[in-house]
Amino acid sequence: MNNKLTGTSAAILYAVTAAMMIFILAPIVLIIATSFSDSYFVTFPPEGFTFRWYGEVLQNEEFTSGLTFSIGLAVATTVLSVAMGVPAAIALTRGRFVGRSLLKGLALSPLIFPVLVTGLALLQLFSGYGWMDTKLKLLIAHTVVTSPYVIRTVLTSLQLVNPNLEEAARTLGATRWKTFTRVIFPQIAPGVASGSIFCFMVSFDNYPVSMWLADSANLPVPIVLYRQIGTVFDPSVATMSTIIIALAIAVVLVLDKLVGLRKAMAM
Amino acid sequence: MSDFATMKQATAPRDGALLWKSIERRLFSPGILILPLAIFLLFFFFIPAIRLMTFSVMTQNAQGVIGAPFTLAHYIRFFEVDLYQKVLWSTIRISLITSFLAAILAYPVATVLVRGNIALTRIITLIVIAPLAVSVVVRAYGWQLILGNGPTGLLNYVLMNLGIIESPLAILFSDSAVVIGSLHIFFPMMVLPLSSALGKIDPNIQQAARTLGAPAWKVFVRVTLPLSLPGLLAGFTLVFSLASASYVIPALIGGPGSQMLGNMVEQQVLAVYDWPFGATIATILVLIVILINAISMKLLGGRRIKANAS
Repeated sequence: MNNKLTGTSAAILYAVTAAMMIFILAPIVLIIATSFSDSYFVTFPPEGFTFRWYGEVLQNEEFTSGLTFSIGLAVATTVLSVAMGVPAAIALTRGRFVGRSLLKGLALSPLIFPVLVTGLALLQLFSGYGWMDTKLKLLIAHTVVTSPYVIRTVLTSLQLVNPNLEEAARTLGATRWKTFTRVIFPQIAPGVASGSIFCFMVSFDNYPVSMWLADSANLPVPIVLYRQIGTVFDPSVATMSTIIIALAIAVVLVLDKLVGLRKAMAM
Repeated sequence: MSDFATMKQATAPRDGALLWKSIERRLFSPGILILPLAIFLLFFFFIPAIRLMTFSVMTQNAQGVIGAPFTLAHYIRFFEVDLYQKVLWSTIRISLITSFLAAILAYPVATVLVRGNIALTRIITLIVIAPLAVSVVVRAYGWQLILGNGPTGLLNYVLMNLGIIESPLAILFSDSAVVIGSLHIFFPMMVLPLSSALGKIDPNIQQAARTLGAPAWKVFVRVTLPLSLPGLLAGFTLVFSLASASYVIPALIGGPGSQMLGNMVEQQVLAVYDWPFGATIATILVLIVILINAISMKLLGGRRIKANAS
């Protein structure tokens, strides 16, 4: 660190950075403050202090069932994405076959493909599958969107693993399965962990896929919240948002504890 | 490769174990490992996506059945009707402004992130990354509260109390609101690749430029900027791709004039029930995203070749 920031240019850099931090935090802090506001309409500055809206929101069946539905969906999506993504990532790094980099690009392509269009394409596909349960449709659609996150993080951590270790294990008679559980997995565990957490977050927060496929019996929480924003003007919407924010922060802190934020984001 | 393992098998010829070993070998071969994902994506991503796009050149009859005759009429309609042109250009304009603003504002943040002290870096990292985990719907709502057009919106309240403005501004439900909201959502996608690119620059190069008398701005323009170009380009592409495919932000904080292609797709499919035209707009959106990614890949590829040659 012999390249310390000094002088007027440093002052400008710090000022812009500080301003951006305020910009990033402002809407989130304001939502949290508003959730305790003792008024019937959302106004600034928030008036008084009350936990009333929390009591009300936790009684709100639509919100609580949306929350549990979304958590369940996100967990299932994560499990499915990891189950398919980790083996695929191993094949994509260790396998030697033609078209490997093309295949890698295809496996990651749902990342840049407009999510809204992915959802629409699946709505069209599923329109012929009247028998299929909405939960299953949502699980499939969310997994399409989240699986590249696991693949990307696991690919990155596999690139750091020394293939000679696997070679050595195999030479010493370990089966492929044993090589995976004893040699590969312990080394890629941080990648799998951060991939899983990304999956969970992306699925939990998703709106543009769910909006096509959800029905009134299966409403993920972002859809519930979106509807509330258009119809309810009291601070209860801010309270719902605050509960979602709290959950998001908890997930980020888990990621930081398990892998480290910088490391996780670099994957 | 595993001669030793084969030798061991040969010396201990237990049929059951051998059979299992050969099954196991096949089961965990790369071709099998990738199969579940490949099949899954083929049936639930590639085929549906391509099928949807083919709708854009088909016709929908009165019964709602989509099929032949094939036609380019939907594309002609898209490029002839003023409303659709307006939406296309506002999508491109909003995404471009967002990406440029993100790039300009991300340089200082990424620089502090790379060269600031450890405690500061940790806090900035947390503040930049944590909102990524908060749903876009929540954040759009937060901007509704801040930009609220009455005197009780946070921004108007602050500006009026400071005496900067006399009457409340009307930012909410405008293009500016969409740009502000999009910047908030996609800013981390610019900071992260940029800070990783800046982190790879040898500080001695900047130090040398400064020692040789270059002022700070010149060091930036001649040294830092060119060396961080891959990160900048990656961030720009990512922000543009994601911003152009927005739905929630324009729907919640944009006005009637700042609706984007995504909102148009939703309207055509769910309200008008015109699948072929909805598919046409979706296809145009996909082409925009593919185009920007292809350009960026070409630029990055060209750079890499040049770097290797020198």
